[in-house]
Amino acid sequence: MSGTDDQVDEILKSVRESPTYLSFWSAYKRIQRLSPKPSENASLRASIAIIGSSTLEPLAACFDVKMRLEGFHPHTFVGGFNTYHQEAMNKTSELYKAEPNIIVLAVDAWSLLDQKFLSNYPLMSSKSRSAAIKELVNSITAIAEVLEKNSAALILVNNFIVPTFSPLGVADNKQKLGFKKFFRRANRLLEEKLESASNVFVVDLDSVASDFGKSRTVNWNTYYRGSIPFSEEFTPIVADEYMRYFRALKGLTKKCIVLDLDNTLWGGIIGEDGIEGIKLGPTSPGLEYVEFQRALLSLYNRGVILAVNSKNNFDDAIKVLREHPHQILKEEHFAALRINWQNKVANIAELAKEINIGLDSIVFIDDNPAEREQIRQIYPEVMVVDLPKNPHLYRATLEKIDVFDVLSLTKEDMARGEMYVGKRKREELEQSSTSIEDFLRTLELKVQVKLTDDFDTPRVVQLLGKTNQFNLTTRRYTDAETKSLRDAEESAVYSMAVQDKFGDEGVVGVAIVRKEKMSWMVDSFLMSCRVIGRSVETAFLAKIIADAKTAGAKRVIGEYIQTKKNAPAADFYEHHGFAKQKESGDGAIWMLDLAHGTVEVPDWIDLIEE
Amino acid sequence: MTDAEDTLTEIISKALLLDKSELTDDLKRGDYEPWDSMAHLTLISEIENEFGIFFEDDEVVDIWTVADIRSLLSKKISS
Repeated sequence: MSGTDDQVDEILKSVRESPTYLSFWSAYKRIQRLSPKPSENASLRASIAIIGSSTLEPLAACFDVKMRLEGFHPHTFVGGFNTYHQEAMNKTSELYKAEPNIIVLAVDAWSLLDQKFLSNYPLMSSKSRSAAIKELVNSITAIAEVLEKNSAALILVNNFIVPTFSPLGVADNKQKLGFKKFFRRANRLLEEKLESASNVFVVDLDSVASDFGKSRTVNWNTYYRGSIPFSEEFTPIVADEYMRYFRALKGLTKKCIVLDLDNTLWGGIIGEDGIEGIKLGPTSPGLEYVEFQRALLSLYNRGVILAVNSKNNFDDAIKVLREHPHQILKEEHFAALRINWQNKVANIAELAKEINIGLDSIVFIDDNPAEREQIRQIYPEVMVVDLPKNPHLYRATLEKIDVFDVLSLTKEDMARGEMYVGKRKREELEQSSTSIEDFLRTLELKVQVKLTDDFDTPRVVQLLGKTNQFNLTTRRYTDAETKSLRDAEESAVYSMAVQDKFGDEGVVGVAIVRKEKMSWMVDSFLMSCRVIGRSVETAFLAKIIADAKTAGAKRVIGEYIQTKKNAPAADFYEHHGFAKQKESGDGAIWMLDLAHGTVEVPDWIDLIEE
Repeated sequence: MTDAEDTLTEIISKALLLDKSELTDDLKRGDYEPWDSMAHLTLISEIENEFGIFFEDDEVVDIWTVADIRSLLSKKISS
């Protein structure tokens, strides 16, 4: 490690000890002066840009340092004061030079509105008010569209902070278009106009400001002295909101909540208080636990996996999940359960293995600080929630952790819970079958392979972004890149959907091929770990090989690039009769000569072609 | 050193990107490159926030050295 890196680490350590705005600002300036080299590890590099209508360096400083605190090495571009228009329009501007992953567009409504807007609002007709809304929103969406066209970045557009003051007083909402409604309408229109742009997100700054307290979002001294839009306390909060998108973009989303039972899902101890004695019901004490469970269920219903890790007699605890009239989370909501007297560290490792996710995808919730500390020490990669002692605050704590963000919610996310029920039933069947083939035959597997269309592209991009284990090359393509591969003639993007008699898994596989006249090169081939062990990858590869033959290609070339996590895919090409062409430090190139070899669809799989 | 003096030193050193030990009373805006307009603005508002005071525009402009800050602040707090 170089001296510069040590100095940067030292600066970041001081920010961790005292995470105030001044610490963020000072750290940012000091690190900029050191100008550290970008990381050699591409996945840790990040490039961000913040442009807009005011002095945005303080906000950029907080965003930059927050990324550094999570181990990234950002390059940060800050636009000039109110020069965002030129920066966006000019394709060769500094803004685009560093190829940003994220561009924040932070434009204050007041910078776009007429100088007389506030004074004249009471005199304006509703027609001219309405026209002013459209003009305001169009000037933002026009810039967002240019940014989207000129770059592959994720574009974050701040919405407007709805003022708390109205010159119309309490009669504001008796007007057809009151002063506050003007801004609310503008926000709604902004969201509507940008809803279908998959690379553009409207950041709900108004809601973030409300939660923080709108009267504290501006420091009028720095506002007038230096056009700084947000107060010292509020600036890091806005950066936190951008971090949610950054984490989602980098695939750092948590996938699973592992829950304790006693004094976490209900009040009291089941082994001592009995099923009638625990606190769980429609009035407090008891209601706080019911509402905590409802919030957990809302996350489950959008794809967050739930699991139990509890020290209890299994029969006592499972009875609550199965029979208690006010229990919201039932046995079938949990992908896996560990209710025993084993230590929780061992349990959590088993749960991760059973559910087939990494420990770094797990959030652990337990009321006992000693259990939390133990997990934290042994598995620092698990996110351990500091649950407050007061159960009235459980639900609020859960709603604040913001670590489950994904950039698009697919139908596979919504149905994930049912898929885990299917998984459990499949495992029961596997145990009762005499051979693996026998088991696969009884599953009634159907595999559908097709060229990706608009409908399944979001899911394909999601899989490209987060699949780690069964992933031959781990190339992460953005939404824009995937669409251009899909639409180009010399390449094709395939998706694979799988179903069996226990349920529909939806789209679980992606392959990208680059087509040359004589040979097809498999650029990417991946499959969700959920369907490993059912030979569906063979059917998927068979379909691609059949297409290559039809197109007149003589060979199919495959590539394997080793990562820390993709060992399950290492033997893929060898198993399917490919010959090794070249080997390098972290992978190999494989080839199948189509004149002599092919890959057949396993006879227990029904391959459905488009 | 009193707590207030210590807090002030902490603020000045962070805003001017120095370690506390590197900070001297004769450090001067204009001579020291990191003390630019943004650093000055940050310095002033952090002191205002911490001590619950307000600097008039003239006072902001007239602060040139670390010693100026210390004397102006003690005048404001004691008045």
